[in-house]
Amino acid sequence: MPTLLDGRSLPEAALSVDPFRPLLAALREEWGVMSARQGCGIGRCGACLVLLDGVPALACLTPAHRAAGRAVTTAAGLDQALAARVLAALAAERAFQCGACAPGILVALTWLLAAHPETGAAEAEALLAGQLCRCAAHGGLRRALAHLFPSPSHPETRP
Amino acid sequence: MSAPAALLTDIPWPGALHAVVLRSPHPHARITALDVAAARAMPGVRAVLTAADIPGVARFGVRVADQPFLCAEVVRCVGDPIVAIAAETRAEALAARAAVRISFAPLPVVGDPEAALAEGAWPVHPSGNLLHRLAHARGDVDAAFAAAAHVATLRLETPRQAHAFIETEGALAVPEADGRLTIYAPGHWAEAERATLAAMLAEDPARLRVVASPVGGSFGGKDCLHAQPLAALLARATGRAVRLDWTREESFAIGVKRHAAVIRMRSACDAAGRLLAQEADLLLDTGAYAQHGLEVLETAFENLQGPYAWPAFRAEARLAYTNNGVSGAMRGFGALQVQVALEQQMDALAARVGLCPLAFRRQNLRPDDAPGQLGQRLVAPSHAGLAAARLLPPQPPRDAGRWRIAEGVSLVEKGEGFAQGGPNRGAVTLAVEADGRIHVRMGLSELGQGLLEAATAAACRLLGCAADDVAVGLGDTDRTPDAGPIAASRGAGIAWRAILDARPRFLAALAARAAALGAAPGLALGPGGLWRAGGNAAEVPLAALAGARAEGVAAPVETHTGTGAVHAAFTACGAEARVAVDRVTGRARVLRLRLVPVCGPVLSPAGLRAQMEGCAAMAAGFALTEELPAREGRFRAGNLDAYLVPTLADTPEVLCDPVEQIPEDALGPRGVGEIGLNAAAPAIVTALMAAIGRPIPVLPATGERILALWEEA
Repeated sequence: MPTLLDGRSLPEAALSVDPFRPLLAALREEWGVMSARQGCGIGRCGACLVLLDGVPALACLTPAHRAAGRAVTTAAGLDQALAARVLAALAAERAFQCGACAPGILVALTWLLAAHPETGAAEAEALLAGQLCRCAAHGGLRRALAHLFPSPSHPETRP
Repeated sequence: MSAPAALLTDIPWPGALHAVVLRSPHPHARITALDVAAARAMPGVRAVLTAADIPGVARFGVRVADQPFLCAEVVRCVGDPIVAIAAETRAEALAARAAVRISFAPLPVVGDPEAALAEGAWPVHPSGNLLHRLAHARGDVDAAFAAAAHVATLRLETPRQAHAFIETEGALAVPEADGRLTIYAPGHWAEAERATLAAMLAEDPARLRVVASPVGGSFGGKDCLHAQPLAALLARATGRAVRLDWTREESFAIGVKRHAAVIRMRSACDAAGRLLAQEADLLLDTGAYAQHGLEVLETAFENLQGPYAWPAFRAEARLAYTNNGVSGAMRGFGALQVQVALEQQMDALAARVGLCPLAFRRQNLRPDDAPGQLGQRLVAPSHAGLAAARLLPPQPPRDAGRWRIAEGVSLVEKGEGFAQGGPNRGAVTLAVEADGRIHVRMGLSELGQGLLEAATAAACRLLGCAADDVAVGLGDTDRTPDAGPIAASRGAGIAWRAILDARPRFLAALAARAAALGAAPGLALGPGGLWRAGGNAAEVPLAALAGARAEGVAAPVETHTGTGAVHAAFTACGAEARVAVDRVTGRARVLRLRLVPVCGPVLSPAGLRAQMEGCAAMAAGFALTEELPAREGRFRAGNLDAYLVPTLADTPEVLCDPVEQIPEDALGPRGVGEIGLNAAAPAIVTALMAAIGRPIPVLPATGERILALWEEA
């Protein structure tokens, strides 16, 4: 099984990185892929979220060897039609300010839309709790979620 | 806005060397031995540099150049840089760092600003620990207190706050074929950064190019130099491209923070609720280096009286060096700390008089035509009354299950741009190029605050073109005119006033081009080009007018009559907050914020809303969860696991009701990147105060602190 990075085959030699380095370091420092961002390095901010064989994974906490023989998808390699839909909704509602958090949020929402399109906006909001946006473009994000996930939600009861 | 812009720290550069920095593990120590020979001999290592390898100026700063690019003798905080290393791989750079032989002799740690200023304290710098002091007095304060019907006192501690932008500090320095050096690094003032880097390298600034925009979040934290100097130094030493990205831990340790403050206030009014006297004492912990500490202290001092009229006032403010990291610029900039104290005082006095907090504020407003807080003549007063008129009175607290719901209001003002003598001049160039677009260029940076959109909107409104006709270029010393720093909420106003200034010359240049093409006179700029009145399409497309250009200047708004560092122009904002406090855990949530900025013409309603929403969340963090305390010079948190920033789930509903009509206004649009935070945080705190029935003495108001206050009550 070749290792796929955003749909392209990675040469065998590229995989000779220290297997226990974080996948994020391999992406940015060895393979020149900057579409996953290092925000914290400890799995708290979500800026490095990628898909491993289609499943969300924090690249900063994933050892590089786990990518071998699998498909790694960053924000730059997402399904174009779905990602464009997400991006359009986020842009229309001003869900980014500086955009540093954007790669992780794009990966998260594009995955959610593909894997669980029936999700309600409130559940989607809860799932995004791990994606920090320090500009706090949260109002825009909420409005975009309402467009992307129109199914009924089951909100928590709190004031 | 379409796809988020690629950030400068995301530029791939194959073959760039990886840089790491050896930093001080001690808050305060003397370097007793340093030997880099073994590190230099390590495989893959291309440079190992110490302070001795800096060819030019060794220190930087804003008004006080006290911060070494690399420390030679003494380290003054954890994270102070000592050795800069570049190697082919990050692993090799880290191995070389481990091979540096260094020893330290610890010095006494100055871990508290009060202790720093006490007799006999160890000096963090040879000049002593009192970096700046301000004092002001007006009227007979003692007589006013003696005659007062009501006096409120408060001692408030506000926390050190981390900027915690998602893009950590970083820089990419690239030697060019012609011998110049390009530095790509998120920054606030490309021109000044270039000047300082050139002084460090002992080079002509013309040999450097600094590209400082876009920025992946700053909130003031990338206002001063961060990774640029050592990346540039290593690139010059090796002749290779060098990338230096700070880790989050480095960003926490040595990146700037919001100043922790201790504020004492004594405020008096008469039986009818008319303010009589305000007395205040302010102490800020600036940490190991000055950076923007002096300006932060001045801004805090300038806001100790708020938008209210005090017949008598007396205050002192001090800024202390300590070994607690480095504090500097942060959104809200010193004003925030004193506003959360002053607004509590207003509520406390209103309660004693028996007046509604909003009515109490309204009856004590300083008139628009009165001098400013420190007696300065105002070119553009804040018009806080326009905000006060739109606020609704807070409803009394009520209980809903385990929650207590309470409301609070605030009214604040803050200087627009810098105080007098600051780099207040702005500039723009407008040029039609072969692509048929009007290129609007300014040496400011996009931080996420929406400057690209504000400048585009300003150009459209003032020139008459369409948004598609405009391309905005920012922060690049080779391409944009020096417009001063992006700071102090000045970006939108600079864009507006500089384009306004350029407009007649630019429109004349367009007309001259059109005339040369044989076009009829009297055409006006509209979408796509020059139009005849009543026409159906542009008669002369912009592309045909390539070469037309003009420069514009935004003149400083200053009066030169005040005493010291004061502003001549202000922006006001009012806020209503509703909070829910859990009576079991004490934890509070902000349910709703309504913000009323007096901001003049709104360039982008969506952009304004975005700034108000971001300000509201940052205010909730400041008031409820965020703190970075230091013990003996060491911060309690080093990453986002132990430092809690608001998430999507913590963000309240935010309503924004801007005041766009300002009578006899000399300014035009005011920036809104900060003022919403200045208003929101005090409103949240006065709502908490209403919930528990007493002042909040320590921020953030965590669940534990709220519970303790409740039990004392």
